[in-house]
Amino acid sequence: MSTAPLRRVVVVGNGIAGLTAADTLREAGFDGELTIVGDERHPAYSRPALSKALLLDGDDLTSHELPPAGHGAAELLGVRATGLDLDHRLVSLDDGTALPYDRLVLATGSRARRLSALPGELTLRGLDDALALRRRVAAGPSVVVVGGGPLGMEIASGCLASGCEVTLVSQGTPLRQQLGPYLAGVFARAARDRGLTVVESAGAQLADGGGVPRVVLAEGGVLEAEVVLTAAGDIPNTEWLAGSGLTARGAIEVDARGLVRPDVAAVGDLAAFPTPRGRRRVPLWSSAIEQAKVAARALVRGDASPPLRFQPYFWTEQFGLSLKAVGTLPVDGEPEYVDGEPGGGPALMRWPHADGTADVVALDYRVPIPRLRRMTQAAA
Amino acid sequence: MKIVLNRPRCEGHGLCEEAAPQLMHLDDEGELVLDREEFDAADAALAHAAVRVCPVAALRIA
Repeated sequence: MSTAPLRRVVVVGNGIAGLTAADTLREAGFDGELTIVGDERHPAYSRPALSKALLLDGDDLTSHELPPAGHGAAELLGVRATGLDLDHRLVSLDDGTALPYDRLVLATGSRARRLSALPGELTLRGLDDALALRRRVAAGPSVVVVGGGPLGMEIASGCLASGCEVTLVSQGTPLRQQLGPYLAGVFARAARDRGLTVVESAGAQLADGGGVPRVVLAEGGVLEAEVVLTAAGDIPNTEWLAGSGLTARGAIEVDARGLVRPDVAAVGDLAAFPTPRGRRRVPLWSSAIEQAKVAARALVRGDASPPLRFQPYFWTEQFGLSLKAVGTLPVDGEPEYVDGEPGGGPALMRWPHADGTADVVALDYRVPIPRLRRMTQAAA
Repeated sequence: MKIVLNRPRCEGHGLCEEAAPQLMHLDDEGELVLDREEFDAADAALAHAAVRVCPVAALRIA
């Protein structure tokens, strides 16, 4: 497949993946025409902050703000891409125009998975969602959060801190699926101590409650609250690519350099890239950044650029605890304590594998990631 | 050009150190130390990468 001369690059998506791709294109020497399309009117912001500091901070509504972009791209904000013509290298937009490109970066991310079409079902994915949730919980309403993953737990924690009575509906112990039983236990104790009510259910559906939905549990019970919010995972925004033939199993599958084909890269939450456990999406902050860097270099330099070597970094803050993890979660069994001791206090923990590598977790423990990464390599 | 740290915001992730170890590091207490606040054109890409990767926007360029 031939590739055109590199004069025009279009980046579709203005989250951290699209932003990093644009920055990296410039660093890699691309000095041509660069255009970023973003469907939100806001400049790019830090999504992890939305369910953490932004929910907790008093009047400071700046914890999500990123430094201004330095890539000098034409930014089309509040504009949505609606289609892609690979043969003619054109991205069509919902304002009726089309953008020609020589290289294209797909970075439209994902959206919150909803359990209903009811307008009263809240989710938290974008900045507007977070600001709306802040307003809704300011008066301390009763809240039901459906979803026991990290996002649902962070939101539940933020609502509790705002003075809400909070019930969290989870399939099994919250966080167990994401962190493993040991760490889930630590967080469950902290959450209970702070007053969270957890309802375990095999499944929940939302039913019309005339304004706020009612939460109907598979076991037959019904939960009602003044605010109902779902945190049940994300769905890649790939519908606009439906006619392109690039989507597979709901995502965009890419190679180790983030490329779908020589002139098209896909980065961030919508991209499934090769990992030791197979090709998968890793919708996390540092994953988006690393993918974007690798793919942008590959678009400029081709096969001479290095492939992705990615080791996941994950963090969460909730119920007064902060956790940082390097390696692959969930972790099974009990950890070795490098520092600290069991009980939920500050600790540095290691889950070793047979080959000497390990997954490493810091709980309420300030430690730089480079040191955590070193601890994953060899016995401490 | 200069890197400016908003210390109360820093959560000690250390992604900045990973991006630009020549310019900054976290000390034994996990506090960020700017080894070189001033940087020149040769290090601009490093500095910008460090600022960009911070998920809590604790760094900026002035």
